[in-house]
Amino acid sequence: MKKCLIVGKPNVGKTLFMLNFAQYLHLETVNIQLIYYNGVIENKSYKITQAKELLSSVSPFKTMCLQVLEADIPMGKGKQRIQVIDSSGLTDGIHMNVEMRRAMAQTLSAIRESDIILHLFDISSLFYDSPDHGISKVDYQLAEFGQSKNGYVILANKIDLIPNKRPIVELQKLFPDHYVIPISAKTGLGFSEVSTFVRRRL
Amino acid sequence: MKKNLLGKSYGDILNMFEYGKLTTEETIKKLSVMRSGKVAQIQQTEPPEECLDEILAELESLIGLDNVKGLVKEIQAYIQIQKKRRVEQLAADALVLHMIFRGNPGTGKTTVARLLGKIFQKMGVLEKGHLIEVERADLVGEYIGHTAVKVRDQIKRSIGGIMFIDEAYSLARGGEKDFGKEAIDALVKGMEDYKDNLVLILAGYKDEMDIFLRSNPGLKSRFPIHIDFPDYNLEELLLIAERMVEKRDYKLSLSSKAKLAKIISKKRIEDGINSGNARLVRNIIERAIRKQAVRLQNGGNFSRENLLLLSNDDITEEDFL
Repeated sequence: MKKCLIVGKPNVGKTLFMLNFAQYLHLETVNIQLIYYNGVIENKSYKITQAKELLSSVSPFKTMCLQVLEADIPMGKGKQRIQVIDSSGLTDGIHMNVEMRRAMAQTLSAIRESDIILHLFDISSLFYDSPDHGISKVDYQLAEFGQSKNGYVILANKIDLIPNKRPIVELQKLFPDHYVIPISAKTGLGFSEVSTFVRRRL
Repeated sequence: MKKNLLGKSYGDILNMFEYGKLTTEETIKKLSVMRSGKVAQIQQTEPPEECLDEILAELESLIGLDNVKGLVKEIQAYIQIQKKRRVEQLAADALVLHMIFRGNPGTGKTTVARLLGKIFQKMGVLEKGHLIEVERADLVGEYIGHTAVKVRDQIKRSIGGIMFIDEAYSLARGGEKDFGKEAIDALVKGMEDYKDNLVLILAGYKDEMDIFLRSNPGLKSRFPIHIDFPDYNLEELLLIAERMVEKRDYKLSLSSKAKLAKIISKKRIEDGINSGNARLVRNIIERAIRKQAVRLQNGGNFSRENLLLLSNDDITEEDFL
């Protein structure tokens, strides 16, 4: 089964994107596998609305382990099953909390094993004053890493919060070699493009 | 070796990151350099050694069965070497471990199969290591086309573990028009398809199994491992009885041991191969435990010594049913 990993800084909307994307793929209940750093695996089953309330939050560092769910992507007449993996956010530098570092190490090791990487940016917090405000070194490095990978795409999230398209254009300028899909994890804008992207790379 | 491109492997870098020695940026950089260097990763999960030792000790504690113990050691060595070979990037094959167990009732076939499941799981050969016991009725369908579906279902259930077909020769019984043949064909297909993650064990009495294997020429060669379970001799059976009693926290008095020996040898002469071997011993012991309970209840003396001891009178030959 192909693995599709969601990465990004903390609080860019990774978990909400995963759950709403699952809903977009017509999942009503989600079976989520929580994989902890020490190898413990927990299986949980939620209604999708319940999952959104429990798993995502407005404050950063909500997700502290890998959360895996399986969904069917429509392919031609049939469909293909993929694993969507939600990871904990990556920060610059050395985080002071060892649990956060462990969670991040999990994310990094998941990057290696994934076939498709969806890299989320919070577009509403970018470009306030300087051209690369709000973009961390990790983001740049992931993008650079993604160049060597076929299944890498940048998702410019939270477009429902921006007044005009300028930030999207700016982001595309910053990463000219990458495919940027503007989306809104909250409203579901742009999900069909993401679905097409994933489908083409299966 | 390319692995030492940066002097570190993937896991080391992640560990350093975890301990706070590296920043996230540095880590990603290192990891992506390694990736472009096309470092072959060795994925191996270290088996929890202690647990494996415990199970091996359990196997070792079984009376007799020397060939089984030897086989497990062989397989263990083989797996370790295959792992080492993979590290050196030499060709490493998956192991085909389908087996045939031949032996009379009560010689330990099921017990060994169950232990093997656990051992293989701990060694990393099988994913789950569970044992699915299957018999003719689970495999052979009632109408045309039903059999293959049933077999496939059973195989699906057993993937990652061991599928144990007791009295396997019964599949070939029933003549030309019987669906048993179809079941065998479907099994053969399944065992080839999932040979990496499924172990199929056919078990049965020696003579019947030999006839069964002879009737299907391709079958024998698909099972690389044949294990014979010899009948236990009297001493071994008595040892088994002692172990069994010990495990349940009871004791056999000297006279009860003598009586047990007498009963077993008598049964063996009467019933021959169908005497039940270890199963006969287990039945006698379990009956003794029940009898002792009744005796103590009536007697009313519940001292520790009394609770422990199975006396001469408790050991009886026949069921009271």
